[in-house]
Amino acid sequence: MNRRTFFRNSAGAGLVLGRDPGRALTELYAFGQNPNLARVEARYYKRLPDREIECELCPRRCRLGDKERGYCGVRENDGGIYRSLIYGKICSLNIDPIEKKPFFHVLPGARTLSLAAAGCNVNCKFCQNWEISQVRPEQVDHFDLPPRAAAEEASGRNCPMIAFTYTEPIVDLEYVLDTAQEAKRRGIRSVIVTGGYINPSPLEDLTKIAAAVKIDLKAFSQEFYKEFVRGELAPVLEAIRIVAQSKIWMEIVYLVIPSLNDDPVEIRKMAAWIAKEIGTDVPVHFTRFQPMYLIKNLPPTPVSTLENMRRIALQEGLHYVYLGNVPGHEGENTTCPKCRRMIICRVGYQIQANDLKEGRCPSCLTPIPGIWA
Amino acid sequence: MAVTNVVIVKGSGVRSRPGHTDEGIVARMIGRGLSLMMGTGSPEEAIRALFVSTDRVGIKINGIAGRELTTPPEVAFPLARLLVQGGLEARRIMIWDRTNREVKSAGYRLNLDGTEFQVLGTDAAVAGYGRDPVIHRNVGSRFSAIQTDRIDASISFAVLKDHGLAGVTGGMKNYFGAIHNPNKYHDTKCDPGLAEVFEAPPIKTKHRLTILDALTVQYHRGPSSHPKWAERAERLVFGLDPVAVDAVGWMLIEGLRKKHGLPSLEEDGRPPLYLHSAETLGLGTARSEKIRIIEEEV
Repeated sequence: MNRRTFFRNSAGAGLVLGRDPGRALTELYAFGQNPNLARVEARYYKRLPDREIECELCPRRCRLGDKERGYCGVRENDGGIYRSLIYGKICSLNIDPIEKKPFFHVLPGARTLSLAAAGCNVNCKFCQNWEISQVRPEQVDHFDLPPRAAAEEASGRNCPMIAFTYTEPIVDLEYVLDTAQEAKRRGIRSVIVTGGYINPSPLEDLTKIAAAVKIDLKAFSQEFYKEFVRGELAPVLEAIRIVAQSKIWMEIVYLVIPSLNDDPVEIRKMAAWIAKEIGTDVPVHFTRFQPMYLIKNLPPTPVSTLENMRRIALQEGLHYVYLGNVPGHEGENTTCPKCRRMIICRVGYQIQANDLKEGRCPSCLTPIPGIWA
Repeated sequence: MAVTNVVIVKGSGVRSRPGHTDEGIVARMIGRGLSLMMGTGSPEEAIRALFVSTDRVGIKINGIAGRELTTPPEVAFPLARLLVQGGLEARRIMIWDRTNREVKSAGYRLNLDGTEFQVLGTDAAVAGYGRDPVIHRNVGSRFSAIQTDRIDASISFAVLKDHGLAGVTGGMKNYFGAIHNPNKYHDTKCDPGLAEVFEAPPIKTKHRLTILDALTVQYHRGPSSHPKWAERAERLVFGLDPVAVDAVGWMLIEGLRKKHGLPSLEEDGRPPLYLHSAETLGLGTARSEKIRIIEEEV
């Protein structure tokens, strides 16, 4: 079976016209509402009597009767067998610069094949992608892209990485693990963009195959997580610890929402916790909120607020503190923590200059942590 | 002290064997139930008191459990025909649920052509969900366009079942099928999400009547179908107060649980907390001393 035949066969209701590198992905893949959802048996659950199951993927541990779905809306109890409904059902596919994830210490400027399936295991009131994350898979256009096809697509389009992003890849972990495995065989890395609301065992499996994880730390208070995220803080902090102890790269993003999670005292506590528990080399991004989804009554974050957050985090000893969604701001640049020389200059998602020399500052030769080659 | 009426009509033989429902008996049960509820001499008068002739009426069924434990056509169609007898136009009556697949699996044949009774799921091309979420208290959901745009008045016609989280699933929880993300309200025992979804304008402003299908009641291990814990109770429950109807449904479930030697929902750690929240929100009454149950057999 040649590649074209394989794509045709694997595309299901979606239509793959070919793989011309010069054409946009949206031209090549016809998205359509395909009622034939995936029925792949999930991992990370246990069977209970009377056709009930308990999901062990995330801290919710949804206990479900037959025909019920978990909080994520994309995993369903089918007669006592828990199934993923989204395995290989891709609702968003793009080639993005790695800076968009954002990863600032991973192959600057690299193209990533970025993909997502529907669903999320929390319900952030400020979700920026709610139209695909806060829906059931049958409510969003999608097409079939099996793991092997995804890896081949990345390879054929000169993407050194696949990013599982936009929604919550944890709820599609079976697909993420299988695709990352296929990608690894082709020398392609996998990076994960997640809220980190996951149990230790599946997370440890993820850290064995992924190259990097970006965790959205939504706030540093349980009250905020309960009210605005519908989750819990402690498991996310535990996830950050587990990733830090693994060999893979991690960056942390904190979306700053005016009046809700921008208390300087809380930010200082968070920065101190990161410095003590994780280390001072983990990049932390403070990003700008835009009114969205269920929070439309607040303004975009003032840049001065973001600058203050950054100042606090630097005071607490963090070496790499960035601003996000503020194109052209100096807080987008990577600076040597020792000699203060600017090493990587960014404007938005674009790399303007990259003076890194074999992972070191070109002036004082201080090692700059990250994945650089 | 104001008292709300809830009517229970028993129809002996209506479900003489599993999977079979006698439509004739159902029609008599519905007719009698509506008359008793509205205090009218005939079901047609009751319908005219509830609706105006130009109303587009939605009958929200519950088809999630397939043919085994659903509001079947033999139950929904007698109601629809009675609405026509009461002066409504058949083409303005819509029997619906979340998806065409669920509607079909419940035994219905889809009808989308605008003639006779329309039968469809929200995923039908003519429906869908609203583009923007409705924000109400803790609720943020896209509502079915059937509920928001295509009907003026709503009847919740759900199967009465035990529910592993909410304790009871009845007429109020049936409206979880009118939103795109019901799974987001299942934590904390569906409370207060269940009451708040009902209170959201697309539901509250259109809801007119609750009927509980208690012909077969899943009194344990619901909402899935488990025949060993299902009893042919052969009853329909009617009420204008959605909270009181569900409260009576709870009593029926507790009665069956006691009869079969099961612990009460309270003892099982899952009393229907949403009823208290619903009462607090002013959606109705859950207190037994304020509910008058009228029982009759046809």
